[in-house]
Amino acid sequence: MKNKKILPIMLILAFMVSVTAFSQAKITVKGSDTMVILAQRWAELYMKSNPQSTIQVTGGGSGVGITALINGTTDICNASRPMKQTEIEKLKSRYNTLGVEIPCAKDGVTIYLNEANKVQELTLKQLSDIYQGNIKNWKELGGNDVAITVYGRENSSGTYVYFHDEVVKGDYAASVQTLPGTAAVVNAVKKDVNGIGYGGAAYAVGVKYAKVKKDANAAGYSPTPESIAKNEYPITRYLYMYLRNRPTGETKKYIDWILGTEGQRVVTEIGYFPVK
Amino acid sequence: MKKLLTIGLFTVISIYGYSQTQQIDSLKEVLEKHEGKLNALDDRVLVNEADLSKLNKIKVSGYIQAQWESYGADLEKTNGYNNTFFIRRARIKFTYEALDGVKFVLQPDFSTGNLALKDAYTVVNLPKLKNVTLWVGQMNRPNYDVEYSSSSRELLERARVTTTIYPGEREVGAKLEYNGIKVPILFQVMVMNGDFTGTQAKAVQSNKDVMARFVYSVKLPSAGVGIDFGANHYFGNNLAKTNQYVKNSNGTVDSLNNVWRYLDKHWTGGEIRIYADVLGGMSIKGEYVAGLNSIASAVASTSTMAQKKASPNLYNNFAGYYITLVKNVGAKNQAVVRYDYYDPNTKLSGDAANGALYYKTWSFAWQYYLNDNIRLTAQYTMPKNETNATNLSDYKDNLFTIRVQAKF
Repeated sequence: MKNKKILPIMLILAFMVSVTAFSQAKITVKGSDTMVILAQRWAELYMKSNPQSTIQVTGGGSGVGITALINGTTDICNASRPMKQTEIEKLKSRYNTLGVEIPCAKDGVTIYLNEANKVQELTLKQLSDIYQGNIKNWKELGGNDVAITVYGRENSSGTYVYFHDEVVKGDYAASVQTLPGTAAVVNAVKKDVNGIGYGGAAYAVGVKYAKVKKDANAAGYSPTPESIAKNEYPITRYLYMYLRNRPTGETKKYIDWILGTEGQRVVTEIGYFPVK
Repeated sequence: MKKLLTIGLFTVISIYGYSQTQQIDSLKEVLEKHEGKLNALDDRVLVNEADLSKLNKIKVSGYIQAQWESYGADLEKTNGYNNTFFIRRARIKFTYEALDGVKFVLQPDFSTGNLALKDAYTVVNLPKLKNVTLWVGQMNRPNYDVEYSSSSRELLERARVTTTIYPGEREVGAKLEYNGIKVPILFQVMVMNGDFTGTQAKAVQSNKDVMARFVYSVKLPSAGVGIDFGANHYFGNNLAKTNQYVKNSNGTVDSLNNVWRYLDKHWTGGEIRIYADVLGGMSIKGEYVAGLNSIASAVASTSTMAQKKASPNLYNNFAGYYITLVKNVGAKNQAVVRYDYYDPNTKLSGDAANGALYYKTWSFAWQYYLNDNIRLTAQYTMPKNETNATNLSDYKDNLFTIRVQAKF
């Protein structure tokens, strides 16, 4: 009699486990454009040493990745900003979990300037004013008497949201030219003597970066491993991976590898900073 | 000969040089022309981008719920049919984010033969008060079961206690909300007309109702558990405009000296939700609410005393609760069970409770998420009513429903 009661429960549990296991046969990763080069490198190296694994990485922006996580179309979401409360509520509503947040790297949001630009450092207030359209000429910042061309990201980008919440703290000016991806921002600043842009530290190639100061009296810092590790660089952030449930099986193995020595070595190699 | 050759060579070089200069000039012209075109295109792109960014501020979402229902024998007697197809909801929600922290929401409901305004409110982030928003207009009352959208809810209908004490879910008023990010607290306080029926635009009485809700969230990431718990209180009243008689919680019909008396309406609720990452995720959600509800009589002021006495204002102590278990099965399926209880008058039982019978309802549902937009639900609802000398047995009012929901 006792066995008869236990049997259906065991069958239901076995069914649930098998459904969970099947859903993890192939790992899909979607989200942050800032993280896409890092995620692709992780996937390449991991698949090399684990040929039985298939990891598919796509970008699109943190917002796109989080939506995909909520809709069930990706296993892992890469995000360059923390999930918003409204997004967690959606996850709770659909999957009855709070989601799992895994900080996997650190980044200093870098202020890109053209190499010919005379300006060396900017305060957070000045950056906010530039992006809100209150400062429009480099002359106001000690540069040439020319208009500033302001480049930014699309609103699906986690960097756009992070920069808005932590630096701009107001509405972006309508004159900010939005570009798809950090590489496009870097490229635009590289070609434009009067340009300014922001994005992940790993992309700062062919442009120079401005030192960032908390306020006018504070010291200016560049996004270096030391300043990031000591949290001195004022716009230091974590880069995250989000999952619906606690990882198991191949997904857990992959995440453990990312957080391990090899995965964190790749973080440094790409131009970001390890979490520990 | 040499001279001729030199002159010839010089002439050829000159002609070649001239033609090269001509070509460079013409190339320059072409480049300038194209540069001009590109600049014009650039300007047009900027204008288009500015227009598109305005459109980006408008979000349109919505859902349609089409369902088939099959009724128990007693419901068949009441309805005259034992099954039907019908459109339960057809809604479009327009959200316009005018500025950072300023949002307008408009949501009409297109039910068959009817168009009703469901939501029409403005949300403003209060300057310098991070995470505090002011909501003004027609919106949901601050209650979990009420605010949990029908398009996301795991069961097809809200608990009986919720639908009874918050009819139509919406109210017209102003709400202040604090939704903490670093401190996981949700605090809502709403001042409202308190007598909204969905049809009248203005209040029918001077006194306003107030509702406050507080929720605290605890996260235990290592255990994969999250707990939200809180309490709410509603304080308001109903105006007895036309009838001097009041039937109180003890079932006694009293006469009042003044028909313009306010009837109390107040209750307190407690809520808890536990989310656990167990084999695909599960949650247990519960709410208990008890207090005093009142309903103003709708008889005409010109009615006879006998008519007024037969349809008095109502004044009842009530209690109700629900507990729901939701279990995700894989990424696409969900099993749901709910038990809910509602007693409209806790002071009466037996024959005296006629007209205020308690209900205990079991609901079982299975959801299948076909894709991001389509959800299929099968639900069996088994209400069990209080029995007494008049109501000898449970009504045959079980209900089986299949719903297809398309959400965009």
